[in-house]
Amino acid sequence: MLSILLVVPAVGAILAACWPSHTRTIASTIALAVIGWTVFLLTQFDLSNPAMQFAENFTWIDALGLSYRLGVDGLSLPLVALNSLLTWVAIYSSNEQIERPRLYYSLILLLNAAVSGVFLAQDLLLFFIAYELELIPLYLLIAIWGGQKRAYAATKFLIYTALSGALILAAFLGLAWLGGSNSFIYNPALAHALPVSQQLLLLGTLLLGFGIKMPLFPFHTWLPDAHVEASTPISVLLAGVLLKLATYGILRFCVGLFPDAWQIAAPWLSVWAIVSVLYGALMAIAQKDMKKMVAYSSVSHMGYILLAAAASTPLSFSAAMIQMVSHGLISATLFLLVGVVYQKTKTRDINILEGLLNPERGMPVIGSLMVVGVMASAGIPGMVGFVAEFLIFRSSFPIFPVQTLLCMVGTGLTAVYYLLLINKAFFGRLSAPVQNLEAVTWRERYPAMILTIAVVLFGLQPGWITRWSEPTIAATLHQPPAVVASVAK
Amino acid sequence: MDFNNLVTQLNAGTILPEGIVLITLLGILVGDLIFGRSIARNLSYFAVGGLVCSLVALILQWDNPQPVSFIGAYSSDPLSVVFRAIVVLSAAVTILMSISYVEQTGTALAEFVAILLTATLGGMFLSGSTELVMIFVSLETLSISSYLMTGYMKRDPRSNEAALKYLLIGASSSAVFLYGISLLYGLSGGETTLEAIARGIAGASGSLSLGLVVSLVFTIAGIAFKISAVPFHQWTPDVYEGSPTPVVAFLSVGSKAAGFALAIRLLVTAFPQVIEQWHFVFTALAILSMVLGNVVALAQTSMKRMLGYSSIAQAGFVMIGMVIGTETGYASMVFYLFVYLFMNLGAFACVILFTLRTGTDRISDYSGLYQKDPFLTLSLSICLLSLGGIPPLAGFFGKIYIFWAGWKAGAYGLVLLALVTSVVSIYYYLRVVKMMVVKEPNEMSDVVKNYPATNWNLPGMRSLQVATLAGLIATSLAGILSNPLFTIANDSVSNTPMLQASVQRQVAVK
Repeated sequence: MLSILLVVPAVGAILAACWPSHTRTIASTIALAVIGWTVFLLTQFDLSNPAMQFAENFTWIDALGLSYRLGVDGLSLPLVALNSLLTWVAIYSSNEQIERPRLYYSLILLLNAAVSGVFLAQDLLLFFIAYELELIPLYLLIAIWGGQKRAYAATKFLIYTALSGALILAAFLGLAWLGGSNSFIYNPALAHALPVSQQLLLLGTLLLGFGIKMPLFPFHTWLPDAHVEASTPISVLLAGVLLKLATYGILRFCVGLFPDAWQIAAPWLSVWAIVSVLYGALMAIAQKDMKKMVAYSSVSHMGYILLAAAASTPLSFSAAMIQMVSHGLISATLFLLVGVVYQKTKTRDINILEGLLNPERGMPVIGSLMVVGVMASAGIPGMVGFVAEFLIFRSSFPIFPVQTLLCMVGTGLTAVYYLLLINKAFFGRLSAPVQNLEAVTWRERYPAMILTIAVVLFGLQPGWITRWSEPTIAATLHQPPAVVASVAK
Repeated sequence: MDFNNLVTQLNAGTILPEGIVLITLLGILVGDLIFGRSIARNLSYFAVGGLVCSLVALILQWDNPQPVSFIGAYSSDPLSVVFRAIVVLSAAVTILMSISYVEQTGTALAEFVAILLTATLGGMFLSGSTELVMIFVSLETLSISSYLMTGYMKRDPRSNEAALKYLLIGASSSAVFLYGISLLYGLSGGETTLEAIARGIAGASGSLSLGLVVSLVFTIAGIAFKISAVPFHQWTPDVYEGSPTPVVAFLSVGSKAAGFALAIRLLVTAFPQVIEQWHFVFTALAILSMVLGNVVALAQTSMKRMLGYSSIAQAGFVMIGMVIGTETGYASMVFYLFVYLFMNLGAFACVILFTLRTGTDRISDYSGLYQKDPFLTLSLSICLLSLGGIPPLAGFFGKIYIFWAGWKAGAYGLVLLALVTSVVSIYYYLRVVKMMVVKEPNEMSDVVKNYPATNWNLPGMRSLQVATLAGLIATSLAGILSNPLFTIANDSVSNTPMLQASVQRQVAVK
């Protein structure tokens, strides 16, 4: 069942690379097939069962203790769905006249397979293989179809991610060896037996690895570069899905494998989250480039997830899940819209752009969608961003009151920089440098519209996201964490 | 000793694979004398056929109940079978690669193949010899043929330079090695077979003698030269750059594998008393090789030189398996060498293909190759990424096995260093991929602009295509479908008495 999510895009990638024509059609068909299969899995998913479902289990290489174990539970299913959706969006929103289409589309499909592999893997080594597999396609996607400084940005991305992979591998090797295990099967009981000092060491290594990918201050510097230089569809994938690899890794491995050490580290992690949130927000205020602003807002918003993970109550985990999906949808929308603006006006500088919301000669629909997207990102009620942020603060406040309050300042700052953006670029009179814009076609509007509808829909019905993950989270955190107990006293 | 007893003691059937190679070699020499250049190409196909037969004979020797032969001078245990198979395979692929290369340079093909077969013979004997004289003779057979091959492009001054450098450094290292083993001979009271030496030394002195340590150091110097471990690597980049590319391919795989076989056999069997000392020395060699090889490779502009430094670094990874000295450690070495055989030969086949079509070897000249030759770009990219350890290619599984074995044996520092240096190595391998794939058509290098159309029907090109394809397919699939290879590697270690004894000794010490 689950292997289809890996095999179909991988075969599609080979097909797209070898078939001489109609590459785009092939890629869209494959992406739609993947979405179809995801929907089928969603319908078959047993909501009451917190354990792994649709599990597949084969021994792959005995000597290494590597097994091919797939499974999906409440933590991974929403992210798998997000990946399928955004891959199609990325393919649909790609330029039809893109150079080297065969390589391009096959790399995107390969990326899709690798990311699905990360979310589905139930073997630590298999997780690492999928995690590294995503590296080269994304590097090439940035390096070939990117902007002016793409070579620099892609190399920086590569070095950071490769380092993060090495750290994660070191932690997994360490866990398997210290736990005395001959295999890499995901097994929470393995770490329990270890002394806390060893757990902390392994957790630290793992956190460093995921922190680079997530990204957390001060390891975030690759992200603005990669985002600004990547083309729009790649930015969508990068922000929408690839950053989630790290947050998923934190929830699944850091918390799931080292719950005791996590409790010790949690207060420090919440402080790290504040630094990341505030730094990202302040940097975003200073940006003139719309894309860079959205990129820094990602740094800031991923910090919330760390805060929620540090609180580690069932509610905060649900909140983290919503924030992952919500950030995936919202940042993808914003990148798509910025992409359209850039394509029409040839600039992303908010000091040059003005009055784009002009109903006749501007881009009113894009502008309106932008306003909605920005509101969602800033956490205005009625949209999924609000639900996510509210839940995070609501669930973290009893545990880390001061840290949560400081993070709330971050939401205020989000409103500041996005208002600056909207005010400068979309309100006012249409400025001279951006007269005579090409009309925006419906093709360019559809992807952002679909995502915006999802943003509003999930904002009104957040239960449609949480229902998948609640049983799993409840089972993962069945014991009330020690921190909660101490606060209650 | 009656005749029957002698025949059993000789047990000459164990060297059947070598015999086949030898007969092939003689056939080529005679055929070349009689028919001349007209059938040179057929003779090289004949050589490949002979090597394949020899490989089959090797497979039949697997799990030989009577491995010891020639009154203890030679052993055909699974470990030696595996290493001989690596040497034979690398020679076969090298011949496939060299046909069009040697013909294009206008030198005699049949003689080249004959020298290569001699080197193969030396490498095979070296992998199985358990006696000092035998070791030295086969080592010299391998070395002298290598010097000859290195200088085979006699009109090219760089090839001459490479041959002279290799000869001088090689001769002195052979001398050092010879002095080392002569000490062994004396210390053990005149024994020459390795097991007897170990017994003799253990009997002669209860405590650690200085002579043994000196002998160890000299022996290691000789071996380290063969596997080009830092700091005995200085010849490698120059020789690799100047020699004909197929020769480099053989030196970096076949000759190196034979060197490792010698290292395992000699050190494990003859130096059990100073096991900590030689582990320490090899740890140092491994660290230096990994760091220096990977870091210096970053700065290279010539593809062959880059691959030269990369092969130094790769040897560093292999040494980790040796240093930890556990059963999985040795198995991971064997596995890695197998994988390395495919990916490195694949990469060299691609480099030869590119050099044949453009006449250059600079990394910057590869820019924009994607537009002109997608097949070559794909093959070279896959092989290089595999060398860099990107999953799910073969190299990744090789590396992870070594890391896993090292980690289990408690060599954290080495494994972490290897992890960091392999991140560094991704950068320089990917630089070539970037040149080929990422560059725009307008950034294409001049040689690629004038790139000739691919014509596989030219003489000698088919075999090169076969070599490239074999490298490509093996590199992409040997990782995913690696269970048989793992079994071979593990069995070769668990069925070899000499390694088992050493592993057990180590366990007993702990």
